Amino acid sequence: MTYRFTWNILWSGQTAGWLLQGVITTLEISAIAWLLALALGLLSGALRTAPALPLRWIGAAYVEFFRNVPLLVWMFFWYFAVPPLLPQVLQDWLLEHGAEFWAGVVALGVYHGARFSEVIRSGIQAIPKTQFEAALSTGLTMVQTYRLIIIPVALRLIVPPATNETLNLLKNSSVALTIGVAELTFQTRQIETYTAKAFEALAAGTMIYLVLCLTVALLMSQIERRTAIPGMIARGTGES
Amino acid sequence: MIRARCFSVWVISILLASVGSTSAQPTLEKIDKSGVLIIGTRTGSPPFAYVNKNNEWVGFSIELVEKAVVSALTKKLNKQIRLEKKESAPQTRIPLLTSNAVDLIAETMTDTQSRRDQVDFSLTFFVTGAQFLVKKGTPIKNIQSVAGKRIAAQQGSTNAKIIRERVPTAKLLEFPDQPAAFQALAQGQVQAYTNDGVQLAGLRAKAPRPDEWSVVGEFFSYEPYGMALRKNDSDFRQVVNVGLMDAVSSGLYFQLYDKWFGVKGEVPYPLSAETKRFLEMQVVPK
Repeated sequence: MTYRFTWNILWSGQTAGWLLQGVITTLEISAIAWLLALALGLLSGALRTAPALPLRWIGAAYVEFFRNVPLLVWMFFWYFAVPPLLPQVLQDWLLEHGAEFWAGVVALGVYHGARFSEVIRSGIQAIPKTQFEAALSTGLTMVQTYRLIIIPVALRLIVPPATNETLNLLKNSSVALTIGVAELTFQTRQIETYTAKAFEALAAGTMIYLVLCLTVALLMSQIERRTAIPGMIARGTGES
Repeated sequence: MIRARCFSVWVISILLASVGSTSAQPTLEKIDKSGVLIIGTRTGSPPFAYVNKNNEWVGFSIELVEKAVVSALTKKLNKQIRLEKKESAPQTRIPLLTSNAVDLIAETMTDTQSRRDQVDFSLTFFVTGAQFLVKKGTPIKNIQSVAGKRIAAQQGSTNAKIIRERVPTAKLLEFPDQPAAFQALAQGQVQAYTNDGVQLAGLRAKAPRPDEWSVVGEFFSYEPYGMALRKNDSDFRQVVNVGLMDAVSSGLYFQLYDKWFGVKGEVPYPLSAETKRFLEMQVVPK
């Protein structure tokens, strides 16, 4: 009556190939969505700290709109509601080239972009106001100040919370299975369908997500160490 | 490195402990003690198991358990047995069963050989096969004509597996549930949706304009629905089977069939003479 474990189903037959395919799709969708999220986050995070009020409004509107609607709804929105609004030619092209994948990328990108935005805003606001003033007084324009002084420092400050967001994005990519993207969670379900081995498939999925996330976390901490400006940001070693 | 390995061993041992600790108590004893039969069933598979307009959890599979299985249990254990329903999904039904969370899966689960490695099945209580739901007038007529087309399927279904093997050129998109797959069909993201014929008939009957859709193609798979139970639990399985056999021989099964699948039923789906004969042949003498 107890469940019999058959771990070798994970590397026999097509299963290993499916898992690999799932990992690749998960990494692809996450990587592209991450770039989109970072770009949107940087832009709107910077806008939210801009001196002009309308710019701050635009940033705030984007953040509040996109982070306060569930990711699942965004998936359905970009997959079901947006394509019919596009010109026919573009629609046909999309349908033949993985519309579900791109809808997933955009859904993840704009949702996490809104969340990244807040992380970046907090990074910018952690920089003393005197830095802005000092930069402006050297003759830099506002845009130059942001591009050359503020953003580079803010990016270094936000590595730990950005790691958090990155890991969330990676794991949230599993929501894309609701619109038919064959990522890692999808593949573990597929294995369950073909072999009726639910526990083995789930355990494999769990371990793979764990390894992926640990790798990302390790990578980010490397980046944090490599890019630190000596003497500028206190490192967590006790001295300050 | 060693720490990482310790960690993975720890994770796996937790997983093992959570499933390995299921007691080997026979289900009949468990039901006798608690007075409750817990079934795993669906909320969105009309007319087998779904929540209706009055917010009641009903359906053909559920009523079959209520009228046939529970009465057989009551007779066998000589006490009143209460029915409790829990939600199950294709991905959770086997774990629900093996972890003792439910005693019986009664929904739209196809009896297959690979599933029989993990769970046991009752007698077959419904027979259908895979077909296609398409917009009227679509050139798709059968499984051969889906080559190169975009086809939606339900994740975890045997139909997706067959299409992938027999028509590898079809672009298969798998959705976790019926509503999403139907939405994709309605929006033109896919040209056809494949599932068990009876489920497609159900979906068509529930669609805003049923006349716009048609269910096409010969059955390209054989889908015998059975109730799943824990492995090596033959006393309980016997009671379930006796309940089903009594329902067929007393005519109760056909009354219920007519209620749900008759001309005036939720989903009209006539019972073929062949299937009727098959169901009657499953009944062994007393």
